[in-house]
Amino acid sequence: METPFWLWLIEGPFWLIAATIFVLGVGWRLVSLLALGRRRDLSVPRGSAAGGALRAILLHFIPHGGFFSSTTFHVLTGYLFHLALFALLLFAAPHVTFLEKNVLGFAWPAMPRWAFIVTAELAFAGLILLWARRISDPVQRQITDGGDHAQLWLTFAVMLTGCLALEEASLALRGLHMVMVELWLIYFPFSRLMHAFTWALSRGAMGATFGRRGVMP
Amino acid sequence: MDKHRRWLPSLAALGISARAGLAAMALLLASPLVGPSLGPGAWLGKALGPGGAAWAQVAAPGNRLGTAPPPARLWRDIRRGRAGAPSGTAIGTGVLVQSEGQRWRELHNRRVRPYGGWALLGSLGAVALFFALRGRVRLDGPRTGRRMARFTQAERVVHWYVAGLFVLLAVSGLTLMFGRGLLLPVMGKSAYGALASAMLQGHNLFGPLFIAGILVMAALFLKDNLPQKGDLLWIAKGGPWMRSHAPSWKYNIAEKAWYWLAVVAGLVLSASGLVMEFPWVFRDISWIQLANLSHGIAALAIMAVALGHIYLGTIGVEGALEGMTTGSVEEAWAFQHHEMWARETAAGSAGARGGTEAESEGARPGAARAGHAAAE
Ligand code: HEM
Repeated sequence: METPFWLWLIEGPFWLIAATIFVLGVGWRLVSLLALGRRRDLSVPRGSAAGGALRAILLHFIPHGGFFSSTTFHVLTGYLFHLALFALLLFAAPHVTFLEKNVLGFAWPAMPRWAFIVTAELAFAGLILLWARRISDPVQRQITDGGDHAQLWLTFAVMLTGCLALEEASLALRGLHMVMVELWLIYFPFSRLMHAFTWALSRGAMGATFGRRGVMP
Repeated sequence: MDKHRRWLPSLAALGISARAGLAAMALLLASPLVGPSLGPGAWLGKALGPGGAAWAQVAAPGNRLGTAPPPARLWRDIRRGRAGAPSGTAIGTGVLVQSEGQRWRELHNRRVRPYGGWALLGSLGAVALFFALRGRVRLDGPRTGRRMARFTQAERVVHWYVAGLFVLLAVSGLTLMFGRGLLLPVMGKSAYGALASAMLQGHNLFGPLFIAGILVMAALFLKDNLPQKGDLLWIAKGGPWMRSHAPSWKYNIAEKAWYWLAVVAGLVLSASGLVMEFPWVFRDISWIQLANLSHGIAALAIMAVALGHIYLGTIGVEGALEGMTTGSVEEAWAFQHHEMWARETAAGSAGARGGTEAESEGARPGAARAGHAAAE
């Protein structure tokens, strides 16, 4: 199929602009976070800050200390959604091709079609369950703001348009998916989607404080 | 507010846009009755009604190759569905003309589709009429500030999971059912082709997720939707029409009917959907035809009634949505709409706590104050 001009625009210049905003924005935010530094602590350390940071980063993948029962739903649906999303992002055949052509220059084995579909189902189930919880838990309702809804719906739009293009028979649908991806990339550095990068920093900072005091994070 | 205004026909109290909306709806519904070539109803009628664009005519095989007509015996065999030996088909058999397919198409295009379409419009009209006549059912008195737990977190999550998927499936399903007649002439072939492909992919993907949801929902909500003594009292006292507060248990009989319709239609949709999604499991095509028809009927029934459910859950009844969003309802709402349940709950929590507070999961700070008026 010959690429029409609008699709070229979406997959060419617009893609470059979005990717640039994403990379520069994320870099800027990470650098500025790190540049904040830590307040000098004059007390005598009772343990290793680095060890504490590492321990927090790893241990907090699973809630512990009696928190599991109260967060079971969140842990399960959170992992369901994120793992499925990463699997889709990295191993769906059209994504592998796209990354090879537009970003990396090399490819790896993609998952079979049936696994692609099942993974998409799981990712949607996770996201919809997380949304259902967000709108129906009194506490979560209190702490949810417009940004949370915006990033949730934008992510949903990316996934939805992707699933609508599953037949891979329409350039318009492929273009639509691509536009949503680009909007998502542009919004990313300005939103809490940044948690994809900052989670390690915040866990690490907290773990370092605890570790230095000789407390298990 | 004046008591009578609330349920007497009070068009005057409606805003200008609401009135215009109602008028447009009435016009739309009535226009095919008035004259075949009048108004938007005629366009709808043309698209949906017999002979309309919504059901494509497929000609019987006519333009065969060759000059001589095939022998009558060959035609007879073909029409009777005798299997031949085709040079190659991926799925299916060597049956050339599957005559039952015509019956299926007849039913699908002349019955399910047009009647379903009118049922949906009729339901919209009924909701609009109910709103015009009865208005929003407001809380009778001032809020007490006390909350009553109504739905657990699990019930709320499952409800919104099912509802979310339901909307996605309804939009994509309606596009597939009516798009060819209503959208294709407007959008053109290639745009509609892309849209239909998108909706089919989405519909197929979301279907299985809905199945999981409706099964869990059926189990979670079963207990309070079984028949109870006193259910009929609600109808006898005029249900939603009267201002006498027909008493009911946790769900009144109309809500129970909605539960059973949602569950039964949901199961029919699930089973028939699976048959259509995995056609090679059921080699006999009549299964697939049956699945297709029952899928359409169940879908249109559940959608038509869902319009009423959604209306009552949002604008229709003040204070109802809180239950599904926060888990608890205003105590005054509970006594006004579900008196028997409210009494039982109040008595239960008073007994359990040795006090008189209405217990609440999602209570506002300071909401569960003392002085609960369980006996009114
Ligand atoms: C999308 C919009 C929807 C809204 C705004 C909505 C709203 C509500 C609200 C407010 C309630 C609580 C009623 C009460 O306290 O008595 C409720 C209950 C319920 N809803 Fe929905 N709903 C929606 C869609 C659906 C769908 C699509 C289904 C099923 C397919 C559904 C099934 C139920 C059931 C089973 C109950 C419990 C009542 C009973 O069991 O009789 N809802 N809904």
